[in-house]
Amino acid sequence: MLNNFIFIVLPYAALALVIFVTPYRFFSNRLTWSAYSTQFLESKTLFWGINPWHYGIIPVLAAHFLGVLAPGPLKVFLGNQTNLVVIESIGLALGLFAVFGCLGLLLRRVNAPILKRVTFASDWVLLYLLLAQALTGVYIATFMRWGSQWYLHTAVPYLWSLASFNPQIEYMTDFPLVFKLHAACAFLIVALLPFTKLVHLLYVPVHFLMDPPILYRWRTK
Amino acid sequence: MDVRAQLVMVFNLDKCIGCHTCSISCKNIWTDRKGAEYMWWNNVETKPGVGYPKKWENQEKFKGGWLREGGKLKLRAMGKGPTLFNMFFQPNMPKLDDYYEPFDFDYSNLYKAPPGSDQPVAEAFSQVSGERIEKITGGPNWDDDLSGSQVYAVEDSNLEDNTLVADYGRMFMHYLPRICNHCLNPACVASCPSRAIYKRGEDGVVLVDQEVCKGWRFCTSACPYKKVYFNWQSGKAEKCIFCFPRTETGQCNACAHSCVGRIRHVGVLLYDADRVEEALLKPDDQLVAAHRDVIMDPHDPEVREAARKNGVSDQWLEAAEKSPVYALVKEFAVALPLHPEFRTMPMAYYIPSLSPVISSGGDLHELADHGTFPLLEKMRAPISFLASLLSGGNQEIIADILRKQIALRLFKRAGNLGQPIEESILKNAGLDEAGANRLYRLFTIAPYRERNVIPTQQREEQDSNQRKGASGFGILKKTRGTK
Repeated sequence: MLNNFIFIVLPYAALALVIFVTPYRFFSNRLTWSAYSTQFLESKTLFWGINPWHYGIIPVLAAHFLGVLAPGPLKVFLGNQTNLVVIESIGLALGLFAVFGCLGLLLRRVNAPILKRVTFASDWVLLYLLLAQALTGVYIATFMRWGSQWYLHTAVPYLWSLASFNPQIEYMTDFPLVFKLHAACAFLIVALLPFTKLVHLLYVPVHFLMDPPILYRWRTK
Repeated sequence: MDVRAQLVMVFNLDKCIGCHTCSISCKNIWTDRKGAEYMWWNNVETKPGVGYPKKWENQEKFKGGWLREGGKLKLRAMGKGPTLFNMFFQPNMPKLDDYYEPFDFDYSNLYKAPPGSDQPVAEAFSQVSGERIEKITGGPNWDDDLSGSQVYAVEDSNLEDNTLVADYGRMFMHYLPRICNHCLNPACVASCPSRAIYKRGEDGVVLVDQEVCKGWRFCTSACPYKKVYFNWQSGKAEKCIFCFPRTETGQCNACAHSCVGRIRHVGVLLYDADRVEEALLKPDDQLVAAHRDVIMDPHDPEVREAARKNGVSDQWLEAAEKSPVYALVKEFAVALPLHPEFRTMPMAYYIPSLSPVISSGGDLHELADHGTFPLLEKMRAPISFLASLLSGGNQEIIADILRKQIALRLFKRAGNLGQPIEESILKNAGLDEAGANRLYRLFTIAPYRERNVIPTQQREEQDSNQRKGASGFGILKKTRGTK
């Protein structure tokens, strides 16, 4: 029952929300499309929270995606024990870095009175959810060793089975609860993405790199 | 030749009385909103002083504007690659404390306070956090009229010798009203990773597209004038919009319209967009001359033809011919760009002020031996100060302009008293009688439509139904946290 919920209902619900709500929000009111930076109001502790968080979580997240996109080459690469140990160590270090940052961001919201009016329920939900996600990730990396390898043989085929609308949850059902929690949190975060400031993830400035410095807009041209 | 039109404002500092009416009319129209309380798209500073935000001129601190490097212009703060890696924490961003924490007073306490032996007071509270403020320590004009000069005015980076702040016999001051300069080479535009800031082709107004802005905050520090602000409520950048809903219909900007001293002139300049970069690569003290070179003569048929090719209408060309701004900036060359060495090519120009007339540099209230008008070398405000502010350090340019202003006064004084005027006075200052009379008129009695020549936007080419649907101004959609 719980397995069905976490591994079938949640991912499809999250996917549906991202696919339908994101464009709705984009076309109905882009005035709310912002990362809602609070650096302007409080920047001293932000530095120690926001940088570790982003620089920790982005490579870890990218590694998760890479596993899904190219499991074959990765299996070969991680078949070498040295590679495996190095990757696992880097992953764990980055995970701890992210936890440190996320914790800092959470405590900052608690401690800085100037942020009271710019802290909404969604900010709390996201911070706790992201912290739970990072903590369970670090726990898995520490106590369920060599995840970078077994992830390719379990979660990756499961995710592909989701994509082909033939969910094979038996890849996942025998894992301990903490792993299921990690997966559930991930789907929840994806589900919340279109409703919260997480939409800032959907924009990577690439035009900017190629454009000339000064941008003109002509009404007539 | 790529000739484009630009709406430009000129400020006559000689006439600014520092009343802040411009700031208030701007605030009432544009920034009287949650998240924008601390913003003053138009503000008036006392010089010498640290300004708003504090020390905005210090580019070591905020890293605004452009640098010349290897025959190219490059943003002082960082290139595009480093921008991507500093998106989470923008290292140069001005903070709330650099401006001030906006406050209001709790007037309800005046009638809600319980009976007691003291008179109840309206306590100050922060408009950001809502918390009570025990002691207000900053405001938009905290060093107005040299208040706290030992703390603020001494920090003015334009002062060669800041000991004069403590010496009342040598101290001077004037006001500096500032809006967004709507630069020809805007650093805010170049720094925006979302490409939300753009320059309008038709009139050169620089705007932030609120729908595209994602709040990465690079513009707030890239602008060397600190005229892009971060709205802490909506999470997006905002700036002066040159009152485009007004100028598009031929009305004057709210700040210029309400100006009590009538110090402002609004008009059209034609410029050659192809030569902007080349001009900005000149050394600091040649930048003013380079600015003037980029501005084209609206009477020149070749220029007019090139402008027409870019869609500049006849109405705009006519306005460019009558432009008081062209007269002041190029013809008489009395108006100067603010800190041209920031290399954004600002399109707001300032006529430097003449110093106090009756006392010379030196002892207090000592009437100088020059008669009624000050001699150039005895000016109370050091020429080096004005040069640092307005000409990239070129003192000769400032001296030329002050000479013109002095000559103009001598000429008009002689005229009023029926005295003969030595022709050499005007001639030495680079003026003739007709020019002096024209300049006098612009400086003093020119009415509204002469001080401001603002052509309307041409919309005939648009379908009338579309025009109807798209006219008017206002954001109907809501940002976060607004009801």
